[in-house]
Amino acid sequence: MWLARWLAYTNFKGKYLIEALVVLPLVLPPTVLGYYLLVSVGGASPWGQWLSQQFGLQLAFHFSGLVLASVIFNVPFLVQPIQRAFEAIPSNLGEAAAVSGLSGWAIFWRIELPLAWPGVLSAMVLTFVHTMGEFGVVLMMGGSIPGETRTLAISIYDRVQAFDLASADRMSFLLLVLSLIAVAVSFFATARIGRRK
Amino acid sequence: MTPFDNMLQVEISQSLPMPLQGSFSCAPGQMLALVGPSGAGKTSMLRMLAGLLSPARAKVSVGTEIWCDTTLGIHVRTQERRVGLVFQNYALMPHMTAMENVALAMLHLPRSSRMQQASEWLKRMGLTTAEQQRLPALLSGGQQQRVALARALAREPRLLLMDEPFSAVDQMSRRGLYGLIADLRRDLQMPIVLVTHDLFEARQLADKLVVMDAGQVLQEGSPAHIYRSPRNARVADLVGIPNRFHGRWLGADGPHALPAGLAWLEWLPTPDASAGLPLVVSDKGRLKTAGQPVTWVIQSDGIEANPLTAMDASTDPQMVTLNAQVSQLRSLGEMSLATLQLQALAGCQLQLTLSGANRQHLQPGQSLTVRMDCRWIHVMPARR
Repeated sequence: MWLARWLAYTNFKGKYLIEALVVLPLVLPPTVLGYYLLVSVGGASPWGQWLSQQFGLQLAFHFSGLVLASVIFNVPFLVQPIQRAFEAIPSNLGEAAAVSGLSGWAIFWRIELPLAWPGVLSAMVLTFVHTMGEFGVVLMMGGSIPGETRTLAISIYDRVQAFDLASADRMSFLLLVLSLIAVAVSFFATARIGRRK
Repeated sequence: MTPFDNMLQVEISQSLPMPLQGSFSCAPGQMLALVGPSGAGKTSMLRMLAGLLSPARAKVSVGTEIWCDTTLGIHVRTQERRVGLVFQNYALMPHMTAMENVALAMLHLPRSSRMQQASEWLKRMGLTTAEQQRLPALLSGGQQQRVALARALAREPRLLLMDEPFSAVDQMSRRGLYGLIADLRRDLQMPIVLVTHDLFEARQLADKLVVMDAGQVLQEGSPAHIYRSPRNARVADLVGIPNRFHGRWLGADGPHALPAGLAWLEWLPTPDASAGLPLVVSDKGRLKTAGQPVTWVIQSDGIEANPLTAMDASTDPQMVTLNAQVSQLRSLGEMSLATLQLQALAGCQLQLTLSGANRQHLQPGQSLTVRMDCRWIHVMPARR
């Protein structure tokens, strides 16, 4: 959220580069992202070795690694809507609040966050569903270990491979409904921003 | 407390990021209008007073409080300045009711008394209890600006700033707001600075005008003073003085000798004309060189035209009678704007507003006599 707010409120020469980096996971094939993650934090990499020696942390093929992958993979889904929501707040509202005596924190809590909230909510919902439906990165990074790194999307794939269409059917339908709800919530929230103007 | 305890004093001189130069002051209870074309720096000046911009070199004080002094390294933050600012587009918080918006300026008070005071301020601005509970989007432009004004005043500011507060408001509500501000001014002893591009509004509301152009303060003074004696041709242009002419300063070097305090001014149809009409004007001692090119203006108070009866030549040397023809006549509601072509000076036109019976008898193409009182003439050095 701070990254999004910062991107919305500041302007500098290299801003487009940071914005491109933020969107990169969106355009990159998930397998490519997963591959680079695996190579960089896997047991063979210096960083991966350092992590396992210092903290006993094994990222590759573990739930914790999956979390890291999800975070990186979801950056665009999280940052972009929040950035747009902050950008949509007229700049003189902050000035009006400052003139009314509100401190920087008070402006954030009382003005900016309530106004950007639909964007923040929509970002969180999208990220949640997106993580559930994750496939490529997860497969590369976490493998498919039941109870550890198996996600819904991978389970569906597994079931179809095993000709267990009934289970695949149920899980697919669940994912469809959840995704639809998420997108609807996100659209509803966006429409609320629009109506207030 | 003397009235000058809350005097606003401003001195600024910076060239970057945008040029802002000049100084002015505003007494409590006085309304000062910053006027000038778009991009003149009026809004930047206001933002600087609010502390939203930090100037390169400036000194701003209200009474004994120093808000900004770059030589001492003082820059009081906006939050601590106790300044009220009314924005052109209201800048109300869209997710809060009118009352909550006003209460926002009183966060130092407990919630119940904050709400009670907000309600009182809004009542004073003429909003009903039902309207006070509405979101800004459900209020009219005029009502939103009243809420914004209440929010600015609820902070009990030491300085009230208004940035084009009436320009987004329709004509009907605007008249109501003018009345409200005129009433408030009597009760509130604080300096008020208004930014406007509407000269009519500025003249009507303000006690003092500060004329700005390209970041520079060109002149400061009462509207009457600025209209009667603009400092230079640019000021005359900016405040829209219609009758502005070229001339040559002759001093004592005219058709005949003049008593002390009077001087000759030659009215020229173009800046390079060789001969024109000599006029007897007051000599304020500011122009020294005879033959110097000048620009001069005459206020409409000094021009009299009567389409019904011909006027005789006057014995007063400062009264000039001229023959003219109406070349254009435009109705401006209750007044008419007449353009008169002068017979003695080809190409010179006088603009005149007429009202009442006089304008009923005026026709385009009609000949008439105009009497000009040269005491109303103000002469400025020409800019080359």
